[in-house]
Amino acid sequence: MAFGALFNLALLSAAAWALGDFAWGWVPTWVHENAWVLPSVYVAYALLKIAIVPSWRYRVHRWEVDEDVIYTRSGWISRAWQLVPVNRLQTVDHTQGWLERIFDVATLQVRTASYAGSSTIEGLDAEEARRLSEELAVRAGTLRDDAT
Amino acid sequence: MDPRHDPHESPETRRPETHRGPEPLRHPDTDRPESPETGSGGWVAPGSTSGTLDSSGPGTPSSGSYAPFEGESHRWPTTPAPPGAPTFAEPAGLAAPTEPGEETPRSWWGEDPTGQGSPFGTETAHRLSPRTLVVGPIIQIRGLLLPIAAGLVVGGFNPWILTATLLAVLGLLVRGFVTWKTFRYEIGEERLEIRSGLIRRSRRTIPLERVRGVDVTSSLLHRLLGVAVVRIEAASGAGETEDGKLDAVDAAEAERLRTVLLHRKAVLSGRREEATTVGEDGVASLTTASAGTDASGAVTASDEAAVTYFRMPRSWYLFGALSVGHLVTPFVLLATLFGMVQQSAGQVATDFLVDWVTSTDRGFLVVFAAVSTGVLVLLMPVFAVVSYALTHWGFTLRGRDGSLVAERGLFTRRSVTLERRRIRGYELRDNPLERTRRAVRLRAIVTGLGDTANRAVLLPLGPRPKVEAVVDRALDLFRGRLTRHPRAALYRRFTRAVLPFVVVAAVALYLDLIWLTVASGALALLGVPLAVDRYRSLGHGYDGERVSVRSGSLQRGQATVERSAVIGWTWTQTLFQRRSGLADLQVTVGAGAGGYTAQDASLEESVDFAGRITPEMVRPFLSEDQDPHQDTT
Repeated sequence: MAFGALFNLALLSAAAWALGDFAWGWVPTWVHENAWVLPSVYVAYALLKIAIVPSWRYRVHRWEVDEDVIYTRSGWISRAWQLVPVNRLQTVDHTQGWLERIFDVATLQVRTASYAGSSTIEGLDAEEARRLSEELAVRAGTLRDDAT
Repeated sequence: MDPRHDPHESPETRRPETHRGPEPLRHPDTDRPESPETGSGGWVAPGSTSGTLDSSGPGTPSSGSYAPFEGESHRWPTTPAPPGAPTFAEPAGLAAPTEPGEETPRSWWGEDPTGQGSPFGTETAHRLSPRTLVVGPIIQIRGLLLPIAAGLVVGGFNPWILTATLLAVLGLLVRGFVTWKTFRYEIGEERLEIRSGLIRRSRRTIPLERVRGVDVTSSLLHRLLGVAVVRIEAASGAGETEDGKLDAVDAAEAERLRTVLLHRKAVLSGRREEATTVGEDGVASLTTASAGTDASGAVTASDEAAVTYFRMPRSWYLFGALSVGHLVTPFVLLATLFGMVQQSAGQVATDFLVDWVTSTDRGFLVVFAAVSTGVLVLLMPVFAVVSYALTHWGFTLRGRDGSLVAERGLFTRRSVTLERRRIRGYELRDNPLERTRRAVRLRAIVTGLGDTANRAVLLPLGPRPKVEAVVDRALDLFRGRLTRHPRAALYRRFTRAVLPFVVVAAVALYLDLIWLTVASGALALLGVPLAVDRYRSLGHGYDGERVSVRSGSLQRGQATVERSAVIGWTWTQTLFQRRSGLADLQVTVGAGAGGYTAQDASLEESVDFAGRITPEMVRPFLSEDQDPHQDTT
């Protein structure tokens, strides 16, 4: 998220710099004068977001694997609860990005036959994620019915 | 047996064994120079007619297409590749590029004898109908016809243009021929395999268990020649689909393919006769259909297992006038006409038009424009009905052993087969215009079906009670009642439909922009009925077997799926929804759109709802602290 924020900031700053530097005729003067307002506001917003959102998300995110159902809760301002029955699972993806590897966490994604029915559990402990993915795969195999 | 048939098929299957040598296995890749005219291909036995256009006479192909059943007798004569097999590489002007190809095919086809020799014994490889040689180029040329004609006329039969035209036509013919020559398909016990391509070979294997539907389409031209395009849709992996397209085979063969592909068990257990009779019926239905008026002869002649759920009554064609897509046809026609004129005689036409406009009286022009616009508008419904009738002519919905078959069209006849066990539910859609006549359209919710806008259509636009009656017989009708969503949902609808415009109006008023104020004020006013209607259409229900969810106004849709098709639930709640205790509940389904959402349902009620439908999925989480129910209380 921090990287995304940095990227956006760079983009905005570039725009502001361009606006301030090249005095394009079609841009009204008040925009020239206040070109840097937007980036600074964004910095404040991004800082706030970086400070608050992860912990907030951490408090909201929950997952639970019952015998037959995977239940996840995610989001921060908007929330989503998702129930995915294990016997309808088609794939269990266990991924780890480079940043995730540094922090030794992993993402688990379970997919069903539906275009809309995939469910992600982010920030799992890597070891746990591996165990869980194997367990789910095995259980999906034994419970599996027509999967659609 | 058909003399053609044997030579054509046998070497194909035999090929792998005979061509172990350095010889290329596919004739096109042979770089042995030969004259194109003898181009019947390396694997065609010497006795066979050369497969040029002459052989595409209507007589031969049909017998060839019945080959599958004869094919079961494993006719694999050990014909060695005819010496000096002629090549196609030459005519196509592709001699050079084929050389590398010669390397690959060997290993490629080399795996055939072991890999496919035995499982593919049920039927040998088939070709497309030779009549494709006529149809394919004609269809392709049709698109070029106008520019060509225009070019010839405008260019004054310039020899350059003539040559180019001739070359283009020749190229098309050759391409069609090469495609026909290289195209093979065969149905094994477990797979359908399609091979094609001269330079770039493609070989597509579709496991039969993955076949989701078979479409048979035949345009007027196809029907005149008794062929049809078969499109086999198969699911591959998670939701993606891939197609096998056979363009084109005999009408009878198309029917047979449909039967065989969807009911391979019947075929495997050796019920040949039945399959053949069905095939013949297919011919009957196609031919009677081409008569245009009534397909009933075919229906009655059809096998006992077939049930006709629906045949389009004449009055239903009038519903075409409600269909927006068809209402604009006059304009589309006009635009096409205009484009055609522009394309063919651009400068001349423009000059003429400009001349005419400048030279005629102003008043007359105005009257003329007004009258022609008026006529166009008046014609809209007429055109709509006509064009609607063309595409939906003789719409029938039939049930035939385990499948639903929807067939329609006057000139281009299209028949879509949907396997019943893949149908998870249905969707009723309408828009405000259609609602004034209480008309709805019906679509099936099918697993792994692409292009649902065309393929999943089970009925044309028709009056709701009749449509529901058909649903009741063909599928299962949802009999429950829809639960209304809480009042708060109405307020949210209002906020969405009205508020933005009110804000814009206020800002505009502040800035003294009168026109903007008026415009956004009008939009805001229009938003009121829209919001009310959108609220009224919200609903979800469960009748013990089926779950139904409805939403939308300008495009209202009610999706109904079987209980067993529900493969998950997702609730989402925004900050605003949380304040009023609402949530969007998405029913996850492994078919159709993948999920159908009940917008702004009461969170508690929706959890309860989901719990009633799939207790085993929802109940375990209800009493625990992470459960959505508890979160809001």
